Amino acid sequence: MRETRLWSWHLLVIPIIIVLLGLHFAVMHYAPVFYGISVEKAREFETMIERGKSVTQLVLYILLLAAALYHGLYGLRGIIRELPMSPALGKIVDYSVIGLGLFIFAFGTYVTWWTYSFKIGG
Amino acid sequence: MSDKTTTPREITFRVRRFDPDLDSAPHWSEYRLHVHDGMTVLEALHQLKAQQEPTLSWRSSCRMGVCGSCGMFINDLPQLACQTQVLHLGTDVVSIAPLPNYDNVKDLVPDLAPLIEKHAAVKPYIIYLDQIEIDEPSGEFLQTPDQREEFSQFTHCIKCGLCLAACPTVATDPLFLGPQALAQAYRYTADNRDCGMKERLSAIDIFHGPYQCHLAGACSQACPKGVDPAFGIQLLKRALVLDSIGFGKKKSSVAKIMPLADVVKQLEEFAPPPRTV
Amino acid sequence: MNSKPTSHNNRLGLRGWVYAGKYTFERYLYLAHRLTGMGLIAYMILHIIETANRMRGVEAWQGLMGLFASWPFKIIEYLLFAAAVFHALNGVRLMMTELGFFLGKPKEPVYPYSSSIKRHRPLTYIIMALAGLIIILGGSSLFFP
Repeated sequence: MRETRLWSWHLLVIPIIIVLLGLHFAVMHYAPVFYGISVEKAREFETMIERGKSVTQLVLYILLLAAALYHGLYGLRGIIRELPMSPALGKIVDYSVIGLGLFIFAFGTYVTWWTYSFKIGG
Repeated sequence: MSDKTTTPREITFRVRRFDPDLDSAPHWSEYRLHVHDGMTVLEALHQLKAQQEPTLSWRSSCRMGVCGSCGMFINDLPQLACQTQVLHLGTDVVSIAPLPNYDNVKDLVPDLAPLIEKHAAVKPYIIYLDQIEIDEPSGEFLQTPDQREEFSQFTHCIKCGLCLAACPTVATDPLFLGPQALAQAYRYTADNRDCGMKERLSAIDIFHGPYQCHLAGACSQACPKGVDPAFGIQLLKRALVLDSIGFGKKKSSVAKIMPLADVVKQLEEFAPPPRTV
Repeated sequence: MNSKPTSHNNRLGLRGWVYAGKYTFERYLYLAHRLTGMGLIAYMILHIIETANRMRGVEAWQGLMGLFASWPFKIIEYLLFAAAVFHALNGVRLMMTELGFFLGKPKEPVYPYSSSIKRHRPLTYIIMALAGLIIILGGSSLFFP
């Protein structure tokens, strides 16, 4: 049932990505509508840090990162493994994709945590 | 202006030739033939072989669209040569090549062994609760017309291989089971007489299984019998997902057996009246 | 010993993803979904690396934001937006149809044959029209704020 479970999760994270990415777009590109500030102000360092200090933002960003990474890297694994290769090379591709995903997740979570715990002015 | 799809005229046939004993690579040859209305590509090939090119090779048998032997790549689409009327193609040049995604044995002959092997791999037969009933039946399986209709369209597969020729995943992945095998896996999964999902899982719940179908739909477009293998694959995915979360087919819902004595009694009810002559 | 091949490898390979015959447009939606997906993964990884520049301080961050506000990047941003909208909406169609919804019911085939691909074409058209509308509206708000 392994492939069925992997594929099922590939589908299950879609609504999570649509909602959270939609929110992310709204925050970044429709800041005047949702927050009453210009798009340029929304991208400034201080504004970005302020946004990053909420626990909700921390949790939702990490959730979006996990969902998008899983969905994207499952797709990438599928595309690469559709090329002709031996079962051994196929396993290497699988482990490499998992490794890449874990690394980027760890890195992204660290950056999000860094923002959450950053103190402006030192 | 005369209708191109019915006007008898000279048609140029561009045929891809390959003789493994003489050629290192395939090449194209052109032949001209007068085509009348109603002539199929298969009939044209027979005429070409009889009158112009005796070495031309292809596979064919029934010449009426039921054996699946004469699958070819005609004017950039996989089609059965016996079911394709030359003039209905609407072009003055008709290109005929062997089916893509299969090794080309000679001229228009594909090596269909992978198709058959993949079909065999999904265990394309009824797997019942006990094998003894299959080997020595004690009666008749009960199946309503509605239960039959759940999978009936997928039983019309003639193993022509056009679907694998059309599939983009088969183009790169030689291990992908392909639309034919996966649709047949669904055909048996959906059959109320079958309870072999567990036995088939090791063959279908693999990377090269149904999840590498991305609904390009070319297989269903190519299928000459209306099997719609793409539909079968999506239904198979649904069946597998349901099975993975515990909502698969229950043993209690598998077809019951009507004992032979009752079958005979039913037949006697519909026996013809006694002879009067 | 005859060194000539006994058969010719007729597998289309990567070309089979792009053009393999006169197939309907759903096959090209599959290709577009694949291409936009790969573009989006590449962007996502770059985006994570690029936004990590915050850790280099205010000047580095502001410099980067200044760069991304320039015109070549605005065009790239719009193309990414278009790719994301197409991929998301086509993905919603695939999510539903790959679970067997909107494809009709299995039926004994009668010539001229119907197919699940043709039966869900109205849904495909609606999804594509919606994607086109959102992409145009997004473009107008980006280029004509």
